[in-house]
Amino acid sequence: MNMARVDIQNLKKVFPAPQKGGDPVVAIEDISLEVDGNVFVSVVGPSGCGKSTLLNILSGVETPSSGTVSVKEGDRPARLGYVFQDARLLPWRTVMDNMLYVRDDDGKTAQSSAERYLEMVGLNHTGEMFPGQLSGGMQQRVGIARAFSVEPDLLLMDEPFSHLDAITARSLRDHLQVLWTATRKTVLFVTHDVVEAVQLSDRIIVLAPGGRIFDDIAIDLEHPRRAADPKVATLQAEILGRFEEMHPSGTANLENLV
Amino acid sequence: MSSSSATLAPPVAGPGRVRQFLVTPIGAQLTAIVVFIILWQLVTVIAPRVPGPVSVAQFLWVEISGGSHGGVVTGEFWEHFAHTLRHFSLGLLIGFVPGLLIGVLIGSSRIAQALLNDTVLVLLTLPAFVWAFLTTMWFGVSWQAPVLTVAFASFPFVTINVAQGVRSITPELKNMSRAFDVPRRRQFRHLTLAAVTGYVFAGLRFAIIIGWNGILLSEWFAGQDGVGFRTRYWFDANRYRGFVGWVIVFIVFIIVLDRLILNRLQRRAFRWRDPVETDADQVKLEQVGG
Repeated sequence: MNMARVDIQNLKKVFPAPQKGGDPVVAIEDISLEVDGNVFVSVVGPSGCGKSTLLNILSGVETPSSGTVSVKEGDRPARLGYVFQDARLLPWRTVMDNMLYVRDDDGKTAQSSAERYLEMVGLNHTGEMFPGQLSGGMQQRVGIARAFSVEPDLLLMDEPFSHLDAITARSLRDHLQVLWTATRKTVLFVTHDVVEAVQLSDRIIVLAPGGRIFDDIAIDLEHPRRAADPKVATLQAEILGRFEEMHPSGTANLENLV
Repeated sequence: MSSSSATLAPPVAGPGRVRQFLVTPIGAQLTAIVVFIILWQLVTVIAPRVPGPVSVAQFLWVEISGGSHGGVVTGEFWEHFAHTLRHFSLGLLIGFVPGLLIGVLIGSSRIAQALLNDTVLVLLTLPAFVWAFLTTMWFGVSWQAPVLTVAFASFPFVTINVAQGVRSITPELKNMSRAFDVPRRRQFRHLTLAAVTGYVFAGLRFAIIIGWNGILLSEWFAGQDGVGFRTRYWFDANRYRGFVGWVIVFIVFIIVLDRLILNRLQRRAFRWRDPVETDADQVKLEQVGG
């Protein structure tokens, strides 16, 4: 089973000042983080805490200002898969062609593998349809199936459910858990939703504004987890409570943080 | 039992069947044509100088079959028609290739857009007859005038549409392709080319319709052969049934071309944008909970 080892040491990222004469923007102050093995890790934090910057550095879109980042499977660079905030499917290609578009191989094997992943997100029979014929939630399910189907060592997910309504998002979390339980990829999942993070993750990294690690919480529950499971709900309440303790001034502050 | 009464009804008799046929789309189209021909015939009763449908049909038969129009004049349909098609294709090619290239340029570069967009818009608003006049002034009676009229009239329609197609390739889709390490050749085929194809067909369709108008005018003013020239020939000869006959040829050609080829090509290339939802699709959507 492929799995990645992510090693981040003293990472700092500073963007040049947006205006002439202004101050440079510190997106990430100092982050050191190790992720190893078949774990589902969420990165939680308010807007502007450097979540997306962290993901962009891991994917190679951005380069660190200082510090080191390595993402490896054994001795080779890890193969990455992506799920974005929106589905990002080619509208002029069918669902199946979209699945095959990102693969290294083609032919029968690729096709049957793509079909298998579509089936796991409940979208068998849609291969010949165009993305425009699917609802937003179904398109995002194709996006998730596509990311898993490239058999990545590390899967980067950037708030994949934030654009969907609550009911669709809940159903997609269930689909994601089915896929993850079956494949056990190393996942780095960025979200601003603590409740979602608790349901999905083995470990939650909380970032504070300014780009530092605020907390590192292990979640020790069996997968897959149902949102209505009392154990999940209790843990969600407990962790939300911890946030409140850290910010005694109350819910307003909590909303700012989470 | 009431639900099956329709199938139990006795077979529809003759007049009922005609009525059923008339309300189908094809029946309605045929009705419109018949009504038009009847109205046309009525107009000739009021205005005797207007040639009627029968005399125009007779003229066209002589012209197409190469028979005698009386005197030394014989039918020359195919010569003129082929001549126009050759010039038309050449003009379309001369308008299409730069239209495609400049469309890609405008669609992909903001500077190119700022530089060229207004010029293309001005060209877009110029009616084809302006090009017919201008090219006749520049080249006189020549083959260049009709060819360039088609080229100038069609060029901006290709450009505008291709530019729109290129703009539909969003940075998000490009980033996605890069993130998944999709090879450049596959990106070109499935991202760039596939995005632009539908718009190219749409542009080509407009270009053909506009260019076809342009060539009639240009050949009328500056042609020595061709559909426009022959139309004017009969007009100048005071033979109005010849004039009307050629105008009909002109119209029928573009309608048939559009209905049978261009419209279908465009619809096929834009299948992803305006999919015809079939019953099968609906069943699929219900199966997957759409």
